[in-house]
Amino acid sequence: MSKKILSIILLAALMFGALGGCGSTVANEPPSVTPPAGGQTETAPPAGGSAEATPAPDSGQPQSGGVLKLSLPASPRYLDPIQYTGTYESQIIRSVCDTLVDYKMDLSGIKPNLASEWAISEDGLEYTFKLRQDIYFHPGQYQDGRQLTAEDIKYSLERSARESSLNRLDMLDYCEVLGDFEVKCVLTGPNAVFLTALTDAGNSIVPREEVEGWGDDFGAHLVGSGPFILKEFKLDQEAVTVRNDKYWAATPYLDGVTFMYINDHAQAANALKTGALNLATSLQGEAVQIVRDDPNLVLDETAGLHIAYLYMNQVNGPTADKKVRDAITMAIDREDLVAGVYPYGEAQIASVPLPPGSWGYDKSLESEALPYDPERAKALLTEAGYPDGLSLKLYISNTAFRIKMATIVQQYVKQNLNIDVEIIPSEWGTFSEIASSGNADIYGMSWTWYPDPFFFLNKIFYSGEIGALGNGAGFKNAEVDKLLEDALIETDQAKRADMYKRVLKIVMDENPIFIYGNENVTDGSTANVHGYIQRADNVIVLVSDEVNVWLS
Amino acid sequence: MLKTILKRLVQLVPILFVVITLTFVLTRLIPGNPAAILMGPQASPDEIARMREELGLNKPMLEQFFDYLIGVLRGDFGRSVSYNRPVLNLILDRLPATLQITLSSMVLAVLIGVPIGIFSAVKQYSALDYIFMVLALVGVSMPIFWLGLMLVLVFSVKLGWFAVLGMGSLQNGFWDVIQHMVLPVVCLTTIPTATFARITRSSMLEVVNKESVKALRARGIREAAVIWRHALKNALPPLVTVVGMQLAGAFSGAILTETIFSWPGMGMLIYSAVFNRDYALIQGAVLFIAIVFVFVNLIVDLIYLMINPRVSYEGGEEIA
Repeated sequence: MSKKILSIILLAALMFGALGGCGSTVANEPPSVTPPAGGQTETAPPAGGSAEATPAPDSGQPQSGGVLKLSLPASPRYLDPIQYTGTYESQIIRSVCDTLVDYKMDLSGIKPNLASEWAISEDGLEYTFKLRQDIYFHPGQYQDGRQLTAEDIKYSLERSARESSLNRLDMLDYCEVLGDFEVKCVLTGPNAVFLTALTDAGNSIVPREEVEGWGDDFGAHLVGSGPFILKEFKLDQEAVTVRNDKYWAATPYLDGVTFMYINDHAQAANALKTGALNLATSLQGEAVQIVRDDPNLVLDETAGLHIAYLYMNQVNGPTADKKVRDAITMAIDREDLVAGVYPYGEAQIASVPLPPGSWGYDKSLESEALPYDPERAKALLTEAGYPDGLSLKLYISNTAFRIKMATIVQQYVKQNLNIDVEIIPSEWGTFSEIASSGNADIYGMSWTWYPDPFFFLNKIFYSGEIGALGNGAGFKNAEVDKLLEDALIETDQAKRADMYKRVLKIVMDENPIFIYGNENVTDGSTANVHGYIQRADNVIVLVSDEVNVWLS
Repeated sequence: MLKTILKRLVQLVPILFVVITLTFVLTRLIPGNPAAILMGPQASPDEIARMREELGLNKPMLEQFFDYLIGVLRGDFGRSVSYNRPVLNLILDRLPATLQITLSSMVLAVLIGVPIGIFSAVKQYSALDYIFMVLALVGVSMPIFWLGLMLVLVFSVKLGWFAVLGMGSLQNGFWDVIQHMVLPVVCLTTIPTATFARITRSSMLEVVNKESVKALRARGIREAAVIWRHALKNALPPLVTVVGMQLAGAFSGAILTETIFSWPGMGMLIYSAVFNRDYALIQGAVLFIAIVFVFVNLIVDLIYLMINPRVSYEGGEEIA
């Protein structure tokens, strides 16, 4: 008898132990692989000026030495610039290679990099670059660290334009070498985003000998002229780099940087706590709080170049009717939604389909967004012919943020409009296929790219993008199309900004899309990391003419 | 014996054909366009279509299937789209890392689980028997993912004994490797240990009360000898089967374990293959595991023959 009691007590104790443990972990992120979604974050803007990161508390003079261990949330595969597909890959490429021009750290504009200056022809077709003369490639298998010249610019850029299936430089026709350190790039047509495109890690300058020597294996043996030399690339594990003593912009303080792949956010936070990691990038969920609560760790948050939204079908189903879209928009309280989805303050509220960091952004437009108004929403839906509500399918990728968002939206529209929303979460591949097919009633996702409005507005609202994930809802408006086409040819930024503002105005009137938030770029670091500045576009710069990270 | 082996090898052919066909069909049934995933969200429809063409996904399904089949017969498992490398190379590269933790955990599980099972059977209804069996129940029901994170929280973050993740390297000394191995191995060991303990206990219980065992005792043979030499031998067959199954099953456990601990083995490979709709890689990995499974079964059967020569695979008496 006593044994039976003993076993019952034991069982109960164990179960409580297990449940108690569960309680503390349910809130953990599922093993969410950051989808290539909103993946290719490239270069970004001042994010409303408030984007300044909190630098680690500096203690005295910078000192040399130490290897910075940095985590990426997804596994880098392709380090050959013309093949990379995810932000996490571009982070490594940026430390190993240089681009012709780059964004300033404060993202207020484009600055010289390998090119010391440039000129644009009247017709906007020709860009002539003068190069610095103190730049050398890392020594590799097929060259011994020779000087970088105009031939390399021509080779690398034409390679990207012609061989890359990712089309990061499709506006480039050809390059012409004018001298050892002078090169002219000729475009297929006037294209205002050429300089922005040049800042992409995909358009990094690489030595021909290495590319041709390694062939398909060039990525694993990437050679460039950047602050760190790629020593070893272990697939699905880590990329080990060491300091380039001959780096032209500055001599790195760090002995090297090791980029590690850590799939799970909670695990990244754990690794920070034990010191196995110095810098965890793109943190999410409870991991953010873990870092925030730990006095030995530093949390960096910057409003990202990012919009999160629901895109409603413009062609088929009830949402093709603007009244239905307006009703749905007014039935959801953005403030409550953002607070619910991002309990750790990982985002700010937004209603304009362009993030504040972009120079096309206009704060006054925020007030033109339809406000939360359940009464009017209900009236509009009745007017549209659905007094008793209706049913809609909402497609999302199965990441924690989207699932929470969809659940809250579901409750709001049910309560205010009697709309039954069926949430269909799936992993990224499935989601992107359905979303771009034009068959989703509504799909929820986010978008992030360069600060140039082109990379948001053309991709999401241009009719030529119907069938792609950007404009999967099938938005088509002749005036918007015309404005977008004109803005791409115009080189004057002020005029372009004006055109994009008109696009935003029309789009917001048509209300095809419900914008609710701008997610932050969130990194955690150990207290011994100094001089790290976070950029709103999620680009990690460890050493440049403006930054030089060091460890104490 | 040789005949049995040969017969089994011939049987492999239809089994593998079915596996190949099934994985081929199933991978293509998962929704999602590999070209779109490869190109990222900002790719235009034209670009995606071009990539599809490049990947050979536009060919008729049957043609793709026969291409694949012929390739496999030649030992060519195809090329992984997401890694841009031959599938076989990838699998062979990753295999040692997975074997390192799966085999260690299997050995540990046998070393711990079997004695516990024997003890529980011999001391049936004792307090320890209850404790062990409740622990075993918890062990088999524990979700690996949760267990992994809890272990890290306690043993890495709080106590600082073991590494949070990664594989460690011999360059940093033997201890570094052990430090990295402990938690993933513990994670993978839990379920098999519990299973082995339970199986051993029940099959021992069946044996120790048999007349033949009672007769041994009656002849005055020491209890220890009765248990370890005679009873255990008779209780082994079900255990061998379960060990075989758990070993093959460890590969699936490795998918979760490796993902938590950033352990670069086959599990992580499969995980990312599925995410990237890397058809050739999924097929290759599944086929590989199927082959392992079949061979482990073959070995289990051979061990049966050794333990109990009366078992025959030529018809006649079969062991259920």
